Amino acid sequence: MRLDTSLLRGRWTPLVIAIVVLAVLPVAGAPATWLLYLFLFFVYLAMANMWNLLAGYSGLICLSPAAFIGLGGYTLVIITWSGLPFYLGIIAGGIVAAIFAIIIAYPLFRMRGIYFAIGTLVVPAALQVVFLLWRPVGGELHGGGAGYMVKGLTGITTTDTYWMALAIAAISVFLMRVILNSKLGLGLAAIRDNDETAGSSGINVFRTKLYSFVIAAFVMGIAGGVFYTYQGYIEPNSAFNISWLMTLLMATVIGGEGIEDGPIIGAVIVVILHFLLAKYAGLSLLIQGVILVVVMLVVPQGIMGLIRGGGIHRSVRKLITGRR
Amino acid sequence: MTLELLTDLATPITRGILLGGLYVVIALGLSLVFGVMKLINVAHGDLVIFSSYFAFFAMTSLGVDPILSLGMSMPIMFGIGFAIQKYILNRSFRVSMDASLIVCFGISLILENVYQIIWTPLSRGLTTGYALKSFAVGAVNIPLVYLLDFIAGLAVMFFLREFLGRTYMGKAIKAASQDHRAAILMGINTERIYGFAFGLAMAFAAVGGVCLGLTFPFTPTSGPQFLIIAMGVVILGGLGSMLGTFIGGMIFGLAQCVGGYFFGVAAQMLVAYVLVFIILAAIPRGLFGR
Repeated sequence: MRLDTSLLRGRWTPLVIAIVVLAVLPVAGAPATWLLYLFLFFVYLAMANMWNLLAGYSGLICLSPAAFIGLGGYTLVIITWSGLPFYLGIIAGGIVAAIFAIIIAYPLFRMRGIYFAIGTLVVPAALQVVFLLWRPVGGELHGGGAGYMVKGLTGITTTDTYWMALAIAAISVFLMRVILNSKLGLGLAAIRDNDETAGSSGINVFRTKLYSFVIAAFVMGIAGGVFYTYQGYIEPNSAFNISWLMTLLMATVIGGEGIEDGPIIGAVIVVILHFLLAKYAGLSLLIQGVILVVVMLVVPQGIMGLIRGGGIHRSVRKLITGRR
Repeated sequence: MTLELLTDLATPITRGILLGGLYVVIALGLSLVFGVMKLINVAHGDLVIFSSYFAFFAMTSLGVDPILSLGMSMPIMFGIGFAIQKYILNRSFRVSMDASLIVCFGISLILENVYQIIWTPLSRGLTTGYALKSFAVGAVNIPLVYLLDFIAGLAVMFFLREFLGRTYMGKAIKAASQDHRAAILMGINTERIYGFAFGLAMAFAAVGGVCLGLTFPFTPTSGPQFLIIAMGVVILGGLGSMLGTFIGGMIFGLAQCVGGYFFGVAAQMLVAYVLVFIILAAIPRGLFGR
């Protein structure tokens, strides 16, 4: 496939500038809180982008992101506890998540639609039990359950984790662009709209779905590893928790599912909410739930969808009158 | 040798089948909502827990027995279900199916946090006089509540079956689930039917909640755990098949208890999840799926 470079150059420039500016921030002495907000934004963005790739573009309502994120985190822990280098752990986290995705893809892709969604929902629940029982590397217990501290973090500063998060977010954005402009992206869209027609048009349905599934698992695994580097601690109940899915769902849906820029806006809003509501610890999730419901009813196409498509008054009118 | 193993296994097998009844009660509400509205109600687990907390409240504050409290909680849950469907879900149905799924996630998030605020994150249980009793049949020792779970499972299944087959409302629910458009043309108010179906599912959830509270301790975040079990049961049997859900519940309970016997209690859920996964991989539409 030949690439139209002139068009491409115009589209990539703002992104590259944004990445350079963001990369310079810690060196330029930006406040630590900003960097923390941005760090979380990058991690959520990378994950939400991949969820968007699966749900928005491939029609795979995959409810198991926690499985890939948790596996990424646990691989990092196991590698660092074994005395292997830290960065190997991050990369290995992605690879393990990707291999796991390939293994579960064979049974999962036999299921369709809702069966697929529910099949994926069971996966993190099963992994949670596995990691509650299995203590892969020795050492004393930290806290209850089967939690681990992340070892070998001595050389790693907050700036390093910030850059790692930025890198994975940038990779996820690049990946989305490349995939959506490629044959793979067209194949995915065709499968999402009608998989039987896609199959009869010569698309290898299984392989196309597998590619997007494995790519998403890889990026989520790495993002998970980066997140647990910041957290410094991992335990099965939170690593494989359904709340990961909620966060990604919120980021994708509030921004606009199936829209390339959607997760960017969505992740910004999720991070802002996260910190705004941190003061009201007990109510924070409650308010997020209310926001999720209201957004879905008022602007189902998400904020980016709203900006692109109809005006806000139309959506509000629709809600009040209850008509289409 | 084999005989010893068999007599040893008798207890986990009986317990598994009886415990399956609890999963059937929880799963039937989910199955009904799915069958009629094609909606995965991810808030179902949390709504079941609502009933557990209601029974807990009735027991500790009003001194009402959990089973008797169903007389109050079933109508209340029916009303809540009807209201959720009428004011929230019917609106999101007009948007898209994804929207409804996400709205359910939102509701689940809201409920879990409301429980935490009202009842604190402590683990609770409906510890009545009979909750800890058990009786022996031969060498098999059966807790009374397990038998209660099984009876509730059977009762709810037969009630639902007869209701859908014999009453006007039941037939209308069936019609709306088979062909939404044709049902409208026959003069059925499908939005009202949906409200009714969701209300009914919630009334079953009330029964499920009380059984759950009697059998296991629960916390505000127990909902998703039982949701995942109920999901497994529903797809195991095949979506839209009531008999399938019943048999799915039995299989899940058996896998859990027999798995617990061989691999230890800590691994029993893993055995059940893996079994669900294997059966689905072999029969992607479940045992009785259409």
